[in-house]
Amino acid sequence: MPMLQLNKNTKTIICIGSGGVGKTTMSASLAVGYANQGKKVLVLTIDPSLRLAQSLGIKPDGELHQVKFVSAAGGELWSCVIDHKNTFEWFVRNASSSDAATDVEALLKNRLYQQLSGRLSGSQEFTSLISLYRFVSSGKYDLVILDTPPSQHTWNFLRGPEKISALFNEGVASWFRDSDTESVGLFKKILNVGTTQVLKALETLTGSHFMKELSLFFKAIQKWQGPLETYIMNCHRLLVANETEFILVTALDSSRITEAQKLSREIQKQGYRLTSVIINRVPEWASAVKQPKSARVNDLVKYYQSLENDLQSRLNSFKTSLKVYKCFELRQNSEDVKGLQKNFENIRLLS
Amino acid sequence: MVKKAHLVTGKGGVGKSLFSTVLAHYFSTQNQQILLTELTEHSFFKDYLGLNEITYKPQHLKSNLDISQWSPEDCLKEYCLHLLKIESLYKLFFENPVSKSLIQVAPGLHELALLGKLTSSPRQVGPPMRHDQLVVDSYATGHFLSLLRAPSALNEAIPFGPMGEQSKSINSWIRNPDFTQIHIVSLAEELPITETIELFKQLKSEFNINASLCLNKMSELQSSDLDDLPAEARESFKETIEKENWSRAELKKLNINWIELPLIPEIDTNKLISALVKVYANAAT
Repeated sequence: MPMLQLNKNTKTIICIGSGGVGKTTMSASLAVGYANQGKKVLVLTIDPSLRLAQSLGIKPDGELHQVKFVSAAGGELWSCVIDHKNTFEWFVRNASSSDAATDVEALLKNRLYQQLSGRLSGSQEFTSLISLYRFVSSGKYDLVILDTPPSQHTWNFLRGPEKISALFNEGVASWFRDSDTESVGLFKKILNVGTTQVLKALETLTGSHFMKELSLFFKAIQKWQGPLETYIMNCHRLLVANETEFILVTALDSSRITEAQKLSREIQKQGYRLTSVIINRVPEWASAVKQPKSARVNDLVKYYQSLENDLQSRLNSFKTSLKVYKCFELRQNSEDVKGLQKNFENIRLLS
Repeated sequence: MVKKAHLVTGKGGVGKSLFSTVLAHYFSTQNQQILLTELTEHSFFKDYLGLNEITYKPQHLKSNLDISQWSPEDCLKEYCLHLLKIESLYKLFFENPVSKSLIQVAPGLHELALLGKLTSSPRQVGPPMRHDQLVVDSYATGHFLSLLRAPSALNEAIPFGPMGEQSKSINSWIRNPDFTQIHIVSLAEELPITETIELFKQLKSEFNINASLCLNKMSELQSSDLDDLPAEARESFKETIEKENWSRAELKKLNINWIELPLIPEIDTNKLISALVKVYANAAT
């Protein structure tokens, strides 16, 4: 059976997998493929290669772009490269529970926020999810495909919002509530359970300057607690919804496949609907090479074949609820709409 | 005492962990005591090297080579225990739910804790370390820059007090070329090379650091090797050779030096590592 089979009701696809496996190109291929079937598709990417961006005519400006594309079935293809800094600022400006512009400006001008907002761990993951939620809930698309950020591990993506949520959490900020510029609020709380020794310890470790900056920072973000919790909850609902499918992209490499097997078990346990695994960039041409004169070519070809044999022998250890596909290597010079469509058609079911 | 810290970075999927392993093995053959460590929450080395467990405390891997995994929490705990001296006081503070969440979310604290541990030996802060060199399988490009920037960012936001002093001193050791050596691993392909060049320039301009560069998984093919191949295979290998030549040309244009490691057609991890150690030893001398 050729091509990836989606559930009929699927409205959101989330492509996960570790870095360097071709997730961005695969997301674009899926987008082109389903647009060709007549759907109105939006693909949200993080960091497309210059070649891919050029061939799809997309700009890294955080705006929506319609990709020039003729679909006999009447589909449309839209793309957007997520701009993290702007999305975070968009959230700060739009989600404040107070209308006071001074609060917004106070946060945007806070020194800790400025130094660290774009660099907080989890912030890219957070802005990706917020963008996804924004576009899915707009109801304008039949299918939205998210290419997840290049984090070391998918868990970082799924837990990113939690981390940001903890930062804006009511509990943390409230420690500083009664305090003015001094960090009295926090000290009081700790003093409830500790002794004056703790106070000394805290001073020794960080210094009063740090506590003061931190206090200002948490006070500045107070207004965002309520809306943030709503956002996080909505994002989570979207991630576990029946209309959402996770697709794991991985590479033809023993350690990556082991990683994928572990991840697929874990992620299903957590209640996310991981339906498919795509082993990407399989060099299908290798089997056609017979007795090459170059010893190095011979070694390489044999190596690719042993990787494929290794994969075949391990197919049984993937859960039966999971469809495993392979996809052939895509020529670099064919990373255009036509090439991506061909790539889509090249996805083959293995199990 | 630690005399040198090697930080390995590069785009996701280029082979950072494997390269870190090769570096650590190579230095361990130079009669140096080496600690190989990883910063990820989910260990890569555990499965890859077939270990029963991987811990903060260094474990023996082979002669002259220990392995460990650093989490920001472990690093911070060790540092605070060293300063506070009293375990019960540490517990009182750090196992308090309020301070626990605070540590989780305080911006930049995790990065500072990791780099604090990295530079703790020459700064003589924290328990003494017996290894001569550290090899750290570090974060991918973007995250890696955030890691390096944390001390100076924190120092700018909080110039005074113990926190300010610590970030200032960590920052200066990170920028000291006699102590910190950064290795960027890349594949000879458009995206990784573009990212590598950007990172290389950024490290130079922002930190005055000259990173070493390694191109991994090189095909070592020439177009004459491809004459007798079926069209599909020939096209694929040809594209590989073109990408490799393009990558070399890009690096040459900018006067960046690099070494090359070949793609080793070997599935067995141990054989793969020892083959690469041999190649690296030749390339490094």
